[in-house]
Amino acid sequence: MKDLWLVASYTFKDLVKRKSFIVSNIIILAMVIIGFNIPNILKSFVDVNVTEEGTKIVVLDTQDLFEGTLETLNQYQEQIGYNIQVKKDLTEEQVKEQIKAEEINEAIVISKSDNGININYLVKSIGMTSSIPQNVITTIQDTYKNLQISKLNVTQEQLIKINQPFNIEMNQVEEKEAGGNILVMMILSLVLFYAIYFYAYQVSTSITTEKTSKIIETLVTSTSPRVIVLGKTIGIGLVGLMQTAVTVIVALICAKICVTQEMLESILDLSNFTPTLAITSIIYYVLGYSLFALLYALTGSTVAKPEDIQSANGPVAILTLVGFYLSYFTMMNPTSELNAFASMCPISSPFCMPFRIMMGIASATDILISIAILLVTILVVAKVSIKIYSSAILNYGSKINFKDMMKMYKNKND
Amino acid sequence: MGLKISNVNKSYGDKKVVDNINLQINNPGVFGLLGTNGAGKTTTIRMLLGILKKDSGEITWNDKKVERKHVNFGYLPEERGIYPKTKIYDQLVYFAKLKGMTTKQADKAIDYWMKRLEVEQYKNMTAEKLSKGNQQKIQFITAILHDPELVVLDEPFSGLDPVNTELLRNIILELVNQGKYIIMSAHQMSVVEEFCTDILILNKGKTVLQGNLKQIKDTYKANKLSIISKDDIEEKIKEANLSIIFKKENEYQIKITENEETYKLLESLVKNNIKVEKFEINKPSLHDIFIEKVGE
Repeated sequence: MKDLWLVASYTFKDLVKRKSFIVSNIIILAMVIIGFNIPNILKSFVDVNVTEEGTKIVVLDTQDLFEGTLETLNQYQEQIGYNIQVKKDLTEEQVKEQIKAEEINEAIVISKSDNGININYLVKSIGMTSSIPQNVITTIQDTYKNLQISKLNVTQEQLIKINQPFNIEMNQVEEKEAGGNILVMMILSLVLFYAIYFYAYQVSTSITTEKTSKIIETLVTSTSPRVIVLGKTIGIGLVGLMQTAVTVIVALICAKICVTQEMLESILDLSNFTPTLAITSIIYYVLGYSLFALLYALTGSTVAKPEDIQSANGPVAILTLVGFYLSYFTMMNPTSELNAFASMCPISSPFCMPFRIMMGIASATDILISIAILLVTILVVAKVSIKIYSSAILNYGSKINFKDMMKMYKNKND
Repeated sequence: MGLKISNVNKSYGDKKVVDNINLQINNPGVFGLLGTNGAGKTTTIRMLLGILKKDSGEITWNDKKVERKHVNFGYLPEERGIYPKTKIYDQLVYFAKLKGMTTKQADKAIDYWMKRLEVEQYKNMTAEKLSKGNQQKIQFITAILHDPELVVLDEPFSGLDPVNTELLRNIILELVNQGKYIIMSAHQMSVVEEFCTDILILNKGKTVLQGNLKQIKDTYKANKLSIISKDDIEEKIKEANLSIIFKKENEYQIKITENEETYKLLESLVKNNIKVEKFEINKPSLHDIFIEKVGE
């Protein structure tokens, strides 16, 4: 046990002290911070003159088509930060000049022609983040419609009936009901996949490096192969957990500071991301990582030359991808039997079950069965991997193939 | 007290790499395990250290099965290797702790051995920045840092320059004086002759010669005569029915079978007033014995 902790802590420290690790982490965190600030950065190039009062918009109604009813637009000042002024006595040219001079930010010029009502939305320059505020336009349309209806001597009651809102919702007939934000789930699934894949692969690289640098000869006389494989798996797993946690925490802080609540809610609805889900995601990360790390430990020990790592790891990489895509593609239909299978199958359950928990379609029994299957698979893989590792690690000849591995496993004396 | 290997066998598939080896080391000192490349030395060492399971036989240390927990051993493998991107100090502490030392004990031992092997200036450097010789010295430190009772040195001098060879030579003698049991595998027979009291020569997995080095050499009759003379003595050698193995400047190496022929030659040289600077009858060296046993 003491040796296991020694190998794990040495592996952990050795990895986090490396320049390549520090540099790659700085780059990842910088990308996260920049990523969350992209809207603000772009906005700072476009909306140079947005004041504390909000975006200044002039609504120009020179033909008095709205007969003064456009004042309703002022309600948006508080809601979404528009500072709207309705003008009749300016020309379109004058408004354009005001935008150029940055006295105002944008303008909505309303005019009537034979084809209907024309709305000309004027901005200083059209950029990536420029968009016509749909709620403002809808309100303008509704205001005009209501004005015209009211001229037909329609009562307020009749007007409400005409403007009856349509409440549209979708429901399913199956008992299990899926809910939640698909984007958040896909992100969660992707984060789990990359964390598991990337760090499990590192176990293979680390074992091959020890073998090819011949340090393994000294190491196996200092402690048992079982301790080396498990210690290495734990050490690298802890690095992965720490790095993923730091990245997620920085991302959450950035989301809180840099992105407006409305924007965040419209893109990422984190209401389903509960502490229980966070804990189960960590459990599935640990178990999924352990499974693939032990498989990679096996393939890593069979390689004698660093250039053979990729080809040796190929089958495990394919297995990881199959597991991930099985879970990823069945997400579109979470109540399907295939998705339920993916949540139980050990190669896909680490990517799939957290998503089903978030959707609210996984029962406690489902979770326990899935974890039990995963645990049993890990124990079997650990037994086979450690046994083959013990024989393969001192073999410096040609790459060991599947047949050799089976021989090594069967040969109790080896 | 000591190491005992009894009837140990090992095969890889159909190929027998170690065939019924027996040896016993009862006293501290250096034991020479010799053989050509692929003779089974490293496999024997790996079985002895418990990192490779034997097919049959028994290996005991102080009458206990050789296992990591029973034997405090140090090992310098033939395949040199240290962590290339890790600081020397960090990896030495790591191996010392795996061998059961505390950080304090490890620090003390690291300081002592790094000074002793003249590598203390590399303590905080990564291994990849060190020369091969210095990397080898660091690996030697990992083998003896924890004060082992049994030290296995596989080709300890290969790749070292004469200065470092001398340094390592003195340390091995120091370890012998401390009462350590050392098993050394080497290709340089002069090294083996200098250090080893007992030897075992392996050829294709089989023991071809085993025993006390001095006793082994005593069983061999003299077979070489070495003469240094400024005069041309080739004619005299032929007259004595002897053949020259090689001649280099004034030195003659002559093959002999009986001492009688040698005395006849000496008599002839004296009679003809030939000045001789050296006249030495030699028994076969370990090198010769080794070639004789495994050369065919």
